[in-house]
Amino acid sequence: MGQKKRDSWGSRLGIIMAVSGSAIGLGNFLRFPAKAASNGGGAFMIPYFVSLFLLGIPLMWIEWTLGRYGGGFEHGTAPGIFHSLWQKNRFIKYFGIIGIFGPLVIFIYYTYIESWTLAYSFFALTGKYGRLADQASMQSFLSAFQGLEKNQFFNGLGPAYLFFLITFIANIWVIYYGIRGGIEKLCKWAMPLLFIFGLVLMLRVITLGVPDATRPGWNILNGYGFLWNPDFSALKSAKVWLEAAGQIFFTLSVGIGVILTYASYLSKGDDVVLSGLTAASTNEVAEVILGASIVIPAAFVFFGPVDIQSIARSGVFNLGFVTMPLVLNKLPLAAIFGFLWFFLLFLAGITSSISLAQPAVAFLEDEFDITRKKAVWIFGVIAFLLCQPAIFFLKNGVVDELDFWGGTFFLVLFATIETILFAWVFGMNKAWEEIHKGADMRIPVVYKFIIKYITPLFLFLILGMWLWQEWPPIIFMKNISPENHPYILATRIGLLLIFAVLAILVRIAWRPKPRQIEKLR
Amino acid sequence: MSGGGWIFLIFSWGVILGLTAFCFIKVFSKKEIK
Repeated sequence: MGQKKRDSWGSRLGIIMAVSGSAIGLGNFLRFPAKAASNGGGAFMIPYFVSLFLLGIPLMWIEWTLGRYGGGFEHGTAPGIFHSLWQKNRFIKYFGIIGIFGPLVIFIYYTYIESWTLAYSFFALTGKYGRLADQASMQSFLSAFQGLEKNQFFNGLGPAYLFFLITFIANIWVIYYGIRGGIEKLCKWAMPLLFIFGLVLMLRVITLGVPDATRPGWNILNGYGFLWNPDFSALKSAKVWLEAAGQIFFTLSVGIGVILTYASYLSKGDDVVLSGLTAASTNEVAEVILGASIVIPAAFVFFGPVDIQSIARSGVFNLGFVTMPLVLNKLPLAAIFGFLWFFLLFLAGITSSISLAQPAVAFLEDEFDITRKKAVWIFGVIAFLLCQPAIFFLKNGVVDELDFWGGTFFLVLFATIETILFAWVFGMNKAWEEIHKGADMRIPVVYKFIIKYITPLFLFLILGMWLWQEWPPIIFMKNISPENHPYILATRIGLLLIFAVLAILVRIAWRPKPRQIEKLR
Repeated sequence: MSGGGWIFLIFSWGVILGLTAFCFIKVFSKKEIK
């Protein structure tokens, strides 16, 4: 290990843009507004802010600090970082596998979904769905594109597969050029562009006024009211608090392992306190200001107060790929606004997916001492093969299954492990000192208590609630039709195999090298 | 939109924009990474 010089960030703004790019994803524009509207409106912001300050921001600081700490030992992924943190424990590195497994699993299906946004950007400009004016036809356009049915729009998976190939190659291309030459370069132009697109769309939605004079109640102010009017009774429901905590998790990209890897390319004396907070707050602007101002208010104005209830509950794909294009089709310059919407989602997607690929690449580079280009080739071939089931068995629930394990359960588990390691094994006093190395601002001292007690407690609560409420039906496939059971079982076996292979790789990487054995003699 | 809706919107946007402005002003006034 450590034969070659590790890559590094070129500028502070570069890593802030990259981490916020990783955090800002499709969920900011689709998941957040739907969750807020269905869980108490404005009142949802109470548990949301509580979760942000007690869970999200502390986890952000923990991951930035752990990443920079591990980078000092030339480890950019959780197995090495956890091992550096607790060297006496020879098993802890195996818990770190989750920090490579999770992002890899998310990458497998996320890249495919991201490719839909690129395809729809193209369809918007070429007017392919421009004449569709109702939910049913837009839904069958999407279904045919996804290969779920054959109809007048598409008669196979060909177009979807072509856009997947373009998106996959674009991802690999960026990672191939490394941290400074690829990821940083992309994020430094993609993030400002994303905010410009978001702002243009938000202004367009705000200026919608009352498009139909015969329905004066269907106006933009009431659209905002649908999302922001508080329903305090929702706060009595544990589910609403859990939804808010879950949203904070997903939106900040914590518990995945990508921030650890990104921060590992910092130097020992680089600030993590201010940079971490800046990346988190940038993500919040995209979510609470832009995300909440586009889909739901616009859908309210065109579909009214009755239909919006079911639209808000219809799921993120429906909101993004059915409702939003229908809304935009009703506007002048529909092709341009459609393109802005879908390309905004594509930018949000690609800045996230490249971050999901980096832990696996960094693991190969750091622990097996191979060049980045070689590591990217190995990753590219394996990831490409792993993506295929998500594409061809979408209708059989493979993506949902991957999302549950990679994008939900392991996220919370990983965050719990790293918080305990950081605050309890490493020790809060040492951890506090480590966070503040080179810091450009002091964290309020109350966070010493929050990181040690409140954040882990919060995480155990979320894990416990999930185990109690959601696990039994998922494990026993209660909500899955019997004909899809073999696909779900095969997915689970596949995931176990990926985990096992990673465990073997960790074991090989930590095997004493011949030179070390000589020294021991 | 109700009065409560406005309060939550202004409060949420205020907190987030305030925090972001604070962070970026500090970022641009501090040292670069090494």
